[in-house]
Amino acid sequence: MCDAENNLVAWLDGELPVEQAASVERHVSVCEECRGRIAVFRRVSESVDLYCGAVTAANARPRVPRWAKPVLAFGAAAAIVLFVVVPRNSVPPPPVLTPTIADASTIARNSAATISAAETSPHTAKLRGTIHQRPHVGSAVNAETSKWQPNESAVQIAIPADAVFPPGAMPKGLNFVAELSIAPDGSVRQVRLRQ
Amino acid sequence: MSDDSVPLSLPLLRLAAGGSEVTSLYRELRKPLLRYLVCLGLSRDEAQDVMHDAFVSLQQHLALNGAQDNIRGWLFRVAHNQARNRQTSYHRRFAESLDAEMQFLSDDASPEQHVLEKEKLHRLAMAMRALEKSERECLLLRAGGLRYREIGEVLGMATSTVGDTVERAIRKLAKECSS
Repeated sequence: MCDAENNLVAWLDGELPVEQAASVERHVSVCEECRGRIAVFRRVSESVDLYCGAVTAANARPRVPRWAKPVLAFGAAAAIVLFVVVPRNSVPPPPVLTPTIADASTIARNSAATISAAETSPHTAKLRGTIHQRPHVGSAVNAETSKWQPNESAVQIAIPADAVFPPGAMPKGLNFVAELSIAPDGSVRQVRLRQ
Repeated sequence: MSDDSVPLSLPLLRLAAGGSEVTSLYRELRKPLLRYLVCLGLSRDEAQDVMHDAFVSLQQHLALNGAQDNIRGWLFRVAHNQARNRQTSYHRRFAESLDAEMQFLSDDASPEQHVLEKEKLHRLAMAMRALEKSERECLLLRAGGLRYREIGEVLGMATSTVGDTVERAIRKLAKECSS
């Protein structure tokens, strides 16, 4: 054991009188063991400073109460479960406006009036004579929709082609049938147009 | 041990002239004093209260032409005694785990570094807790920048005893942290 060993920390701190400090300094310059001790003491002193700074900085932060962490964790878990379990389509879709029976009747009456006017017009009669028969584009649609069967009682309304298309655009005598699917509350749920 | 102390940046003869000198002292000593009180175990709010009371006492002390040869030691002693009067929180806080307090360490460090630093400080905290009360207080005051003579004045110990206590405490910490 060195004579200077018990004064190494005081020497590090600059607390020794001048003569004693000089003596320790001379010893340290030749004693490797004491130099190692001094390095350890210096590291420990720095760690104590770090410890004090850490505790002070931690106390400067607002403390979260002990009960807050489990409550927040439970809330987050509940939110995730709700997000996964509750179906996204639970929100009702926006209402689709469909024509009522009264609307359909009005359309039919107007169509009949238009048809009768068109049949008596000489201009229309002239055009009809020059128009060739063309495959009706609605036939493909008819093929796809032919399987459709209304669940509720349907009302069928005959509509001449001239009432829908410009006069002369469709072959003479071509008619359409509108099938109206009636909902229990009396409103028209679906309208299907076929040839 | 030498009895010299670190001179303050202000000439003490001017301290009694008014409150502006106390304000300058407040700026100089506020942080080390607050750190010491928090490390003693006071909460941040308690430490702030004690610190402000200590500075009010300092102003009164200077206004009454009190001794000015060791203002820093005087201020720490007043604060230390007030902290001891709050023994309940003092012991409660030392009994608490320091794990939560050290959660903030090395936010930018890698997970491995974080674990190592946390482990290192945890061991040091345990070793600090295992020290005798006088050893711990000597180390905290030393970390606050006080000289041995000032520490002796705060704790009511002889300067030579402070030297022995600091030496012993450092050796204990070195042994605990290196094992």
